[in-house]
Parts: sequence; C-alpha cells; structure tokens
Amino acid sequence: MALNAYRITEEPYYHSIGNEIALFDAAYAARMPMMLKGPTGSGKTRFVEHMAWRLGRPLVTVACHEDMTASDLVGRFLLDAGGTVWHDGPLTQAVRHGGICYLDEIVEARQDTTVVIHPLTDSRRVLPLEKRGELVAAHPDFQLVISYNPGYQSVLKDLKESTKQRFAAIEFGHPSSDAETRIVCTEAGVPEEIAARLVRIAVSSRNLKGHGLREGASTRMLVHAARLVARGVALATACDIALVLPITDDADLRDAVRAAIAAVAA
Amino acid sequence: MNEHPTVPTVPFAPFERRLSAYLVALWRLRAPIRPMRADANSTLPRRLRLTDGLIWVPDSLPGVHADQAAGLYRAALVHAGAHLRFSGPRFPVGTLKPIQVALVSLIEDARVEHLAMRDYPGLLHVWRPFHVAEGGGTPNAPGLMARLARALIDPDHDDGDAWVKKGRSLFFDGRAEWETHEFSRRVGGLLGNDLGQMRLSFNPKTHVVEPAYRDDNLGLWESNLPASAEGETAYESLRTEREERDDGRSDDASPGAEVEERGPVTETPACPAGEEEMAAPPALYSEWDYRIARERPNWVRVVERVPGVEDPVEVRNAATRHAAVADRLAALVRAAGVGRPRRLRRQLEGDRLDLDACIEVMVSRCRNEIPDPRVHAALQHRARDLSALLLLDVSASTGDQVPDGARPVLAVERDAAALFATALDCIGDRFAIHAFRSNGRSNVSYYRLKNFAQAYDDTAMARLASLSPGLSTRLGAALRHGGRLLARQSSHRRLLLVVTDGEPSDIDVADRRLLVEDARQVVFSLAAQGIDVFGIGLDPGGQDCLTRMFGPRNSTVVDRVERLADLLPNLFLTLSR
Repeated sequence: MALNAYRITEEPYYHSIGNEIALFDAAYAARMPMMLKGPTGSGKTRFVEHMAWRLGRPLVTVACHEDMTASDLVGRFLLDAGGTVWHDGPLTQAVRHGGICYLDEIVEARQDTTVVIHPLTDSRRVLPLEKRGELVAAHPDFQLVISYNPGYQSVLKDLKESTKQRFAAIEFGHPSSDAETRIVCTEAGVPEEIAARLVRIAVSSRNLKGHGLREGASTRMLVHAARLVARGVALATACDIALVLPITDDADLRDAVRAAIAAVAA
Repeated sequence: MNEHPTVPTVPFAPFERRLSAYLVALWRLRAPIRPMRADANSTLPRRLRLTDGLIWVPDSLPGVHADQAAGLYRAALVHAGAHLRFSGPRFPVGTLKPIQVALVSLIEDARVEHLAMRDYPGLLHVWRPFHVAEGGGTPNAPGLMARLARALIDPDHDDGDAWVKKGRSLFFDGRAEWETHEFSRRVGGLLGNDLGQMRLSFNPKTHVVEPAYRDDNLGLWESNLPASAEGETAYESLRTEREERDDGRSDDASPGAEVEERGPVTETPACPAGEEEMAAPPALYSEWDYRIARERPNWVRVVERVPGVEDPVEVRNAATRHAAVADRLAALVRAAGVGRPRRLRRQLEGDRLDLDACIEVMVSRCRNEIPDPRVHAALQHRARDLSALLLLDVSASTGDQVPDGARPVLAVERDAAALFATALDCIGDRFAIHAFRSNGRSNVSYYRLKNFAQAYDDTAMARLASLSPGLSTRLGAALRHGGRLLARQSSHRRLLLVVTDGEPSDIDVADRRLLVEDARQVVFSLAAQGIDVFGIGLDPGGQDCLTRMFGPRNSTVVDRVERLADLLPNLFLTLSR
C-alpha cells in the first residue's frame, strides 16, 4: 500500500492523563478533525503517534513553517525528461490512501496556506487539486489532526477564526507531578527518586513562565535530563545542559533556575 | 551607622532581578521588592524588612564583603520568601517581654526555614554558611540567641549550652506542629522566659537579628504605630508601644522608607502654563457644540509650548523596570516580521529561478502556448508604511496614585510611552509622542515631546521625563491639533493613540456632555481623512464616555493602570497589522 512507510509498528509509549484516548477514539469514529493544544513538549506528537498505532492507521506528519506554501501540502508538478509530472504532497497522499494527516505547529504556517484544509474539514471531505483540475474525495479512513501551541500565539501568529471553528480540541497541560514522575521513570529508566526531583525542578521553572521565560521546562526536557543521569552524568550537570542552557539566554534567569535546581537537588 | 566603615558596600540593585526570579521559581512569589533608604537620622537600615507582602531591602548592607554579598542577598531574599510563604497572620504582642518577642521571632524564623527545606532541601546550603556562632566566653543573651539559631538549622553543630540544647529539643520534638504558627509563639515564649530567668541582659534598643540574612521580623508583629514610625529595630518600636512612651521619640514620625518612596509625588503640581515659552504661533480650531448641532468656528486656541527637560535616566530605565514586559515586547517586535525577507514569485528579474514558473513554462510549451517569461523569484524586505502619534493626557488628575501601587498615573503613562517608543524604534515605524492639557478654551497647551522626524534619543527621553500633572483635559482641541500634524505624514496608514485618564473636562465648560460630543465629532472627521483614532482609558468608570467618543471597537479601558505599559505597544502592533 502507498502509505506503508508511514505505519507505526511498535506501540509508542504514552501515559494517559485523562480520558483523551477515549475522546480521540470517538472523534476518529466520527472522522472529526482534531486540534491538540498545549505547550511544547507536553506529549501532543506522542499522543498522535500512539493513537495512529492504536487505530492501525498510517500517520503522515508535516512540520509547518512560515515559508510553507499550499503546494507543499497539496502537491506540485515536477519536471522530468518528458515534461511535467504531478507529485502528490503529504496531505494529498493521506487523503487518497486513508491516513491520519498531522500538521504540527499549524500556526507557524501562513494563514493563506492553511485555508487549503477547509474543504477537507467540513461535510464535503474533498481536496480540490486546482493545478491538476482534480477533486480528490477523502478516503473513508482519512482524518486531519493539527497541533497548536497557544503559548506561541501572538497578535501576528494565530489561526483564523474560520479555521479554528472546524476542529474539536483536546487540551494538553503539564501532567500532574505523580504522572510526570512515572513518565520520566519509564522513558529514561531512572529511579523514581531522581524522576521526582526532576519534576520538582520543572515545577520551579514553570513558575517562571511569564516572568522572563516563555515556557517552563517541558516533560521532554526532563526526559532528556533523566537520560543523561541514567548514563552516569551528575544530576546538577544533566539539568544544566538539558534544562538551564537551552531554556534561556538571560543570565539572571539562568541563575534563578540554577539556584532552584540546587535547592531541590541538595 | 556603618559597622565597618572601611569595607566598601555592595549595592543590592544588580541582584534584584535574578533574586526576584528565584522567588518566583521557588514559590511563585511575586512580592514587590522596594528599596529601603536611610531614615531622617541617616541611620542605615541593617536588615531587611517585610511589611504587608512587600520586601524592603536596604540599598546596601554595610559591613559585608563583596564576595559574600551575593550569597547574603540570596539567603536574605529566600528567607523573606519563606516568611511570605509560610508565616501566618501577625502575632499580637500582648504581655510578651521584649526578649520573648525576640525569641518567638527566632523560632518563627527557624520554623519557616524548615518548612521551606521540606520542599527544597538544598536551601540549607544557602542559609547555613551564615550561622557561625560558637560557644565559649561569657554567656550573653544575643550570643546565646545566635547559637540557638545555629543549633536549629545546623544538624551537625553540637552546642554545649543547656539552654540551647533545651531549645533544640523543644523545637525538633514539636516537629509535628511546625505547620501551625502558634508553635513559634509557644516555644519562643517558653525559651524567652528561661532566658529572662537567667538574668542575662538584653537591650532591645541595640538588638540586631543574627545572622545578617534574616529580616528584622517587624512584619511578624501587630503594630498600632503608623508605618512611618517603625523605627530602628523591631524590638524598640514594640517596646515603646507596650510600655510608657518615655523617650518622647516615637510620636514625631521620622520619615521612614515608605513615606520617602512617595515623597516626590505628594508635591502639589506647579501650574506651568502661562510661564512656558511658546514653541509656535497659536492655532485656532473650531469646536462642535451638540446643542446647536454645528461647529463654533475659531473657538479654541491651541498653543504649542516648549516642553521642559529633566534627567532622562528614569525614562531610560523603564525597560529594566518592566523587564518582563520588555522581553515580551522584544518577542512581539521579532514576530512583527520586520526586516524579514518576503519571497516574491513570478518576477521578470530575480536572484533565483521560480520552480513553479519553470514548470508552467514547460507545460505551456507542451501545449504550444506562449510561455510566461516571469520565471524568477526574488527576496524583498517587507516594508511597513505607518505613522503613529501617541497623545498623552497630562491633566491634574494624572497626578493621582494608581489604585494598587505607590506611583502616580502619569508615571505609568510615561513608562508605557517609553516602552512603546522603544518598541517602535526597533521596528522602524515613524512615530511621535505629544502631550496636552488645557486651561480654558483660549489656552490649550500642546507639547511635542518627540516629533516624527526626530530620533528617540536622550533629548526626547528628557522631555518625556519632564512631564508633570496639571490643569484640565480639553480632548477635542488636542485631537484636532494632533490630527492635523499627523495628516501631514504621507504614509499609507496613520494611527492616533490617545491615553487619557478620565472624561474630558475644562474650567469653562459646565456641560459634561459638550466636550465628549466634540471629541466624538473630531474622531469622525479624522476617520474621514484616513486617520485611525484609538482611545485608551485609565478610569474603569469611564467606559461609557470612552465608547461614546471613540466607538466600542476603538477604545479600551485598562482596569489596572499598571497594565497600560504592557497593553499599549501590544495594542499598537495589533492595530498596525
């Protein structure tokens, strides 16, 4: 099959926090477009992978960026020896062959690009390929999922109202301390006590959100730090290179986060 | 009173930002930190002070070596944070003796530190280095208290003194009760009683809390004295409150830190109009009178005056004072995409080939059509073409204090204008900052603090710093004048932002509706000239009048005046998109 390369064969680890799995199942059954909201590193992408695996569907991921054009999604004509040949874009592939198309960080794409998904996300479920003069009806298995980080949203980067209102949304926050400890333990294979300390450090850094930091340390960062610890790096050093240095360039804030780490780590 | 005059003092200011971020990281504490200066007797405060959620920090701590200062300020701020996080309501002094007051405070200090260390065991290393009290010598009360303080925090320290041992066991045996703040009162009272019976001298006048990072504990106790009379040490003022006022000192309130903080603001604003030099010949404008439904021609006289000049340092520091806002603004400016290249496709000339266009050429050839020659793509810097005028109301009412802070409305306006100017300067938009006030229809003063053509430099900042509140708000006339200046700018979009603190008024107008209707009329006529006018009100009650003047979509009321500094540049970027 065309999308075999996009199939996920092994179960991606995902620790459920609420009823999001059941909700997504229901939404998929209705082929409802979904929006996953939440700060960076809170498990949005992992969740989609997990759901694609559960539902046994191929997952086509597109990382959106500012210079992305509609043809990057839909497809374009390319030149070959005989002239031009049409090449389906990732969205068109998922639409034709019945995959889950995941547009990561959709707000990064320009608003005039994202309107191409409109006909797919209402009752029409079609994708017009204007350049080719073709109307692709969506495969019955096709579903569109987007991720959206409200923290990045500024006056200049936001979804159009007409785009937003086509989606049902699941919100991802930072997991509770217990859940996050378990996630860090499982992902990095560190003792629970180390994971619990890392989670306390993360909570401290999240307190600084809006006070110089745009985002606190994510679960992903904690897993990185924990993996370093698991390979024998001292906790303070691991935190320094996996949390403090990447998160800010501001000397005062680095100092504050380092001091908070020292206060937790003893 | 400098304890060691030879040691250079280390100021607190460079540490403030990182330490306040540290408190936010630990406990989400956003306690305002205020500088505490010498009082009238030029006595330098030797310890921090906590009052009602504020942390007062001496400008510098005398007698501290430079290499210790960073650690000391950190320990002090974290200790203050622990109080704010864990200390309960203030203790009543009741019948406690001064020495008991001192000991209850000491136990409370240890209690909050231990509660803080439950979550953050590493804080021990922040505090312990300052506990250096050793046994030996003739026992005296301050020495024993410092040794007790050490015994309570340093588990490895073994003090030989029976009283210190008793204090230690009382404290740690009561571990289960640490959560309640009555614990400190009980244990401290007992220990104070014991120490009293040992007949050791204790002078509350000279007592200073040890070690140096701890605050003076004044904030722990109920006090009926006015804040300004809070004197040299906690114990003394508590003592004078409890006993007869025999030293005749506590009644004449010495100007303490809080009073001094507000000092410059309470001065009655001078009335500057009339004395100031004119910057341009007066201009006459008509004014709309809704009662006759027509304009009264040549009714108002607007005089441009030369703005004063003050030290620009306050204005220049606005960005550091609102660091969080300035950070967000910097991000917004970056996001505004200024100077970022835009790709232009299908150009006749360009720095690279446009693949899509090439493909279409091939398609056209195959179809035997004439191909489109525009096959290049180019990068071009996105240009903004916008002029903005920020018009500030500097009438007498801007001298009022903001509801939740110790600053006048005008100071907030000024900070907001400074942040706004800094942001626009980065973007490269043309902008001007003007201010106005009025004194009857023949004397509307108009100040150009920064013109469109001028750079936002020290001169502009000095003028901005010179603003002082006074007189009335004849908004319509100022809008007409500002609108005329803005209309001369030949940009694609023109935006007039007005910051006002209430509804317009003037001494010669009795009908409150008149000036509102006039302003509304001006907004209409400016809109017809392609100038967008946006009103920002600082008076939460003034929503109706603001909406009437500017329209519901083009006005906003800032409920907390402090938010203005945040909102103004943000709003501007939204409007100017």
